[in-house]
Amino acid sequence: MKQERFVALHGREWDSLQSWLSALERQPKRTMRQEQALDFPVSYRRLCHHLALARGRGYSHEVTDRLQRIVQQGHRVMYRPPAPRWHRVASFLIAGFPRLVRAQWRCMAAAAVLFYMPALITLVLMQVRPELAHTVFSSVQLADVEKMYDPANTHLGRSSGTDMQMFGFYVMNNVSIAFRTFASGLFFGVGAIYVLGANGVLIGGVAGHLTAIGYGGPFWRFVVGHSALELSALVIAGGAGLQLGLTLLTPGRQRRGPALVAAGWVGAQLALGAFAMLLAAAFVEAYWSSIAALPDVLKFGSGALLWLLVLGWLWRGGRGTSHGA
Amino acid sequence: MLDTIREIETPEGISLHLRAAGALPRAQAWTVDLFLRMGVFMLAAIPLSLFGVGGKGLALLLLFALMWAYSVVCEVWLGGQTLGKRALGLRVVNADGTPVTWLPSVVRNLLRVVDALPGVYGVGLISTLIDPHARRLGDIVAGTMVIHVSELPAGQQVPSQAALPLPVVLVADEQAALVEFAERSGQLTPQRQEELANLLTPLTGRNDSAAVRQLIGHANWLLGRP
Repeated sequence: MKQERFVALHGREWDSLQSWLSALERQPKRTMRQEQALDFPVSYRRLCHHLALARGRGYSHEVTDRLQRIVQQGHRVMYRPPAPRWHRVASFLIAGFPRLVRAQWRCMAAAAVLFYMPALITLVLMQVRPELAHTVFSSVQLADVEKMYDPANTHLGRSSGTDMQMFGFYVMNNVSIAFRTFASGLFFGVGAIYVLGANGVLIGGVAGHLTAIGYGGPFWRFVVGHSALELSALVIAGGAGLQLGLTLLTPGRQRRGPALVAAGWVGAQLALGAFAMLLAAAFVEAYWSSIAALPDVLKFGSGALLWLLVLGWLWRGGRGTSHGA
Repeated sequence: MLDTIREIETPEGISLHLRAAGALPRAQAWTVDLFLRMGVFMLAAIPLSLFGVGGKGLALLLLFALMWAYSVVCEVWLGGQTLGKRALGLRVVNADGTPVTWLPSVVRNLLRVVDALPGVYGVGLISTLIDPHARRLGDIVAGTMVIHVSELPAGQQVPSQAALPLPVVLVADEQAALVEFAERSGQLTPQRQEELANLLTPLTGRNDSAAVRQLIGHANWLLGRP
């Protein structure tokens, strides 16, 4: 068939598809409700068929370029991402995320050791040799921390500011740290190892110093509430980073490219889960941990309960259900 | 084909042509986004300051959203384009040419931290220069790439003229070359047209402008025009 006849036969069909696609870009909702939307998959495939024919028959660029442009536009509509389904968020948080954490348990265990070991060692060292605090922290930092946890302070864990302000601060600060921990894992895991270790020393140092100078009461009362969510989230973000770096080092029985893409997907899901945990942690930290007037039993009891819930969730969550997430 | 074009075969058995966007337009898009976000933050900070210290918390939450969520939400909901990318005519797509989805977008925007590292996007710049599809590290791990939205310009029309049947049978390649010459003749100077047409004097038996006219007549006949 000659080119002119081909265009004369199908040109009108191409034009109508083209105009529908252009309308879709301007008014997506209204255009999608039109009758023509039902025919779109069929007419798109016919268009692809025409393009293949045009190329096979060696038609000129006038036709192939025109078809190519409509095809590219149609391809974006045909394969657009599905609308978000909110129940998937819930099922991911309840089941999918804990399952993913368990699937990466080696990296998670390594991250936990990398974080808790320096923290515990620093904490114990500070009891034995309290002067070490001045090696780890500057005197300004020490004064700040001591002011925050002064037993005479009516609000625990802060020297000034309201609950709302601290909530914003915790979200911004903690989530950014978690995201950076994950991302820096791409440097062969070195970044994640460094951030985990440094945070371990920092947190262990503060805890050790405050305990050593007798401010331990307010400090532990403050941190026990949100520690479960916050520390676990940091370890998970670090584990996600380690996992990414390890994949780069030892991709296993895959080529590095595809292995990295798969690891990136796992890492992003872990980072999103850690984000949700930190959001909850920031809420607890701003609105619950800071209340000074509660009895010790309630403070430490709720803290222990949260630890049990978090660990139980990570350990058992998503077991028994064969699908979902 | 230029080397920045990536061909991807679709399930329909045809190939898409994606034009990879280099570092410069992407940096410009990023700058537009940066100023936009700074503007939004400053505009929002004025009314928020009326709420006192509590407003500071809201401002920090807004800053967090602008820093981490803005790119992801824009890319997924606006068809792979943040506002800066839309201004520069760029688009983020998955490796198979489909519009970017949630997880790849999250990956590429979280790993922005690594690309941005030494100074301003040092790692990212080097990565875009090395990679054949100009992807930064985040794009490589996410399996995405940034492309130019505008397609290549379509070919010009063959000038209409009375069709002249070809005296001999030409194979498909030769026919295509003849039609392509006729299509592009509008972009060539008359001297160049004649120079090219004179190569085919054995076929046409003519020279210069007469040869050009005859070739265009043959092209019209090949296209099936009357």
